Amino acid sequence: MPGKTSISLVGLVIVLLIGAACGGSPAVEKTEVSSSGSIDQNGKITLEFWYSLGGDTGKVVEALVSQFNESQSEVTVNPTYQGEYAAIMAKIWAAISSGKTPNVAQLGAAPLLGETGAIVPISDYLEPGGFDRSQVWDVFWQYNTAGGTLWSMPFNNSVPVLYYNRDLFAAAGLDPDQPPQTWDQVIEYGKQLTRDTDNNNEIDQWGINTHENTHWYLSTLFLGNGAQIVNPEGTEVLYDSPEAVQMLQLWSDLVNVEKIMPPNQHSEARADFLAGKLGMLLNSSSSIFSMERDASFKVGVAVIPAVAGREPVIPIGGGSLVILKQEDEKIQQAAWEFVRFMASEESALELATKTGYLPIYSDLLDSPEFKAYLSEHPNVKASTQSLDYAVSIPEFSALGTSDSALRGAVEQVELGEADPRQALEAAKAAVQQSIQEQPQP
Amino acid sequence: MSSLSGSRRLPQVFPELAQSRRFQKRAGSVLWYLVLLAVSLTVILPFFWMIATSFKTPPEVFSYPPSWIPQALQFGNYVDAWHSAPFARYFTNSAVVALAVTAGQLVSCCLAAFAFARMNFKGKGFMFALFLSTTMISTQVTLVPSYLIVQKLDWIDTYQGLIVPFIANAFGVFMIRQSFMTIPRDLEDAARIDGCGRLRFLATIIIPLSKPILAAQGLFAFMGNWNSYLWPLIVTNREEMRTLQIGLRYFVSQETGTPWGIYMAAAVMVTIPVIVIYFLVQKSFVEGMATTGLKG
Repeated sequence: MPGKTSISLVGLVIVLLIGAACGGSPAVEKTEVSSSGSIDQNGKITLEFWYSLGGDTGKVVEALVSQFNESQSEVTVNPTYQGEYAAIMAKIWAAISSGKTPNVAQLGAAPLLGETGAIVPISDYLEPGGFDRSQVWDVFWQYNTAGGTLWSMPFNNSVPVLYYNRDLFAAAGLDPDQPPQTWDQVIEYGKQLTRDTDNNNEIDQWGINTHENTHWYLSTLFLGNGAQIVNPEGTEVLYDSPEAVQMLQLWSDLVNVEKIMPPNQHSEARADFLAGKLGMLLNSSSSIFSMERDASFKVGVAVIPAVAGREPVIPIGGGSLVILKQEDEKIQQAAWEFVRFMASEESALELATKTGYLPIYSDLLDSPEFKAYLSEHPNVKASTQSLDYAVSIPEFSALGTSDSALRGAVEQVELGEADPRQALEAAKAAVQQSIQEQPQP
Repeated sequence: MSSLSGSRRLPQVFPELAQSRRFQKRAGSVLWYLVLLAVSLTVILPFFWMIATSFKTPPEVFSYPPSWIPQALQFGNYVDAWHSAPFARYFTNSAVVALAVTAGQLVSCCLAAFAFARMNFKGKGFMFALFLSTTMISTQVTLVPSYLIVQKLDWIDTYQGLIVPFIANAFGVFMIRQSFMTIPRDLEDAARIDGCGRLRFLATIIIPLSKPILAAQGLFAFMGNWNSYLWPLIVTNREEMRTLQIGLRYFVSQETGTPWGIYMAAAVMVTIPVIVIYFLVQKSFVEGMATTGLKG
């Protein structure tokens, strides 16, 4: 075994190694971004397409890709599933820094990639390609805009909706055809749904809960009460306003005063709802099909409740298509043709009717195909009705930090660790710091 | 020993006491078995739950109170799982990578361990300490530099990108060196006198004598690579190069809801090879753990 001298040497080595690993983390060099698309001798183009929709939805995406491949003979697209939004975003960042990107990608928070300089604004192609923007709901264009540039093409979009257990409603003496429309009604209904079914002084059936991404539902409350998330420049978050604090207070009351929402159990909310232990659940409209598949009771879906006396304001979510920069103009043009196919009216109809996502074209709602689909899936009406109130939260660079800060605020308030004002002020401070630390372009 | 001989003498002098001691001993071992039983149940429960869920319909997965035994066995989940992703390809990839890493680690670790245990050279103590110190650096720290190296070598989406970074393993060198050091020097001297070279001595004498530790190290390497997630995730982009663990993860969907029955069916298929291999080398593995005093 090593003697004393070599032990101190070991210490030195460890310090050196750790120092090298931490301090000298290799700066990602500015590499020429080139995508992996290729043209063979016969002029045939192969494109790499990364997407982030798994399961049954992913199969619809792959079916659309094969339709594109069969529709013409010039371009072949290789689709690869790269995980959910967070996973694919990490892979795209790694790909950009290594200089080898796919040609087209479908992912969430897509316009934020604009800052990297690795994507081509979709607006470069729309008008030259004869695309009429007015066919698509304006809110979807806003959702894909950052810093005044339209970066990405709307693809799969959803809204937060209220799911409710029709059987539990009936058992509690509530009319399953009259879901709550305001938060006052949610409290009223929630009290009737919250029960101790086995008389052990512990509540085992709750009135309402939300899915894990609590920031989305809290943002919906903020906007519905006239509060704003961020200023137009994207430099300051604004949820320390009285209107916002009031809404987090409402959230806190659901847990601590009305006791109709279990504290900090959002990760189990979906399972609780499906097990019949939860009356109402706020969740994405993209889950309508899977919720109907997994439930052993009748699922109802309604437009997310509004603040009493106000109209609902509903921030959309979802993913978009981006075109990554490539040196060869031909490949880039082929990528646009593919994007155009994926986001065409026919594809949008197929995606919507097979997955539950929203159709991005306004006139699709009146098409006979879509009407037939709605009569087959009446629950989807709640998401199309939500479109009348849909807005887009402005994309800004600290959006990810802001979302997690809001989730943190919700958790603190639910556990009674902070009052709503403190929690929101702390969240704002954290986000402001992150905005300041970001390198200015 | 004294207590044993004592108790042997006891029956003549204090028969009742001897009986009660025997009873205590028996009660003690019953209690011990109860504890072991409880611990094994805790270990088995997640496996059982995985298998039970793999046969359930979607509504049954979420039913409350939970059903322990599926009402109707949904073998279709296995068919769906197998067809929902190119699992045959994932299996091949995982097997190629895990076996190659295991073989590579055993070869490289044996050679290094032999040098550290049996040879004398300048700076040996320092080199060995340097080796050991690398075990204190967590993989997360080396992730980015390793990725950049692999990427510069253009090894993204290749088997060598998945295999080569794991061929050397400092912990394996340490463990095998400790075992090699227990083999008496006289054996080596005798072999050397008979004209046996170093490599031949290693291959024909030391390695056969060290089977338990090699089996243990081999199993560590195999399981570690079979289960590894982060590295394959970042160095593979194409479907054809993905391993099983990456394939599994793609069943989980926050946005549209995870199909738990199918997901668990796939998990069962992925777990089976590791369990089979574990049972095959179990005996050597337990010996190996006993010799290192380490628990896997």
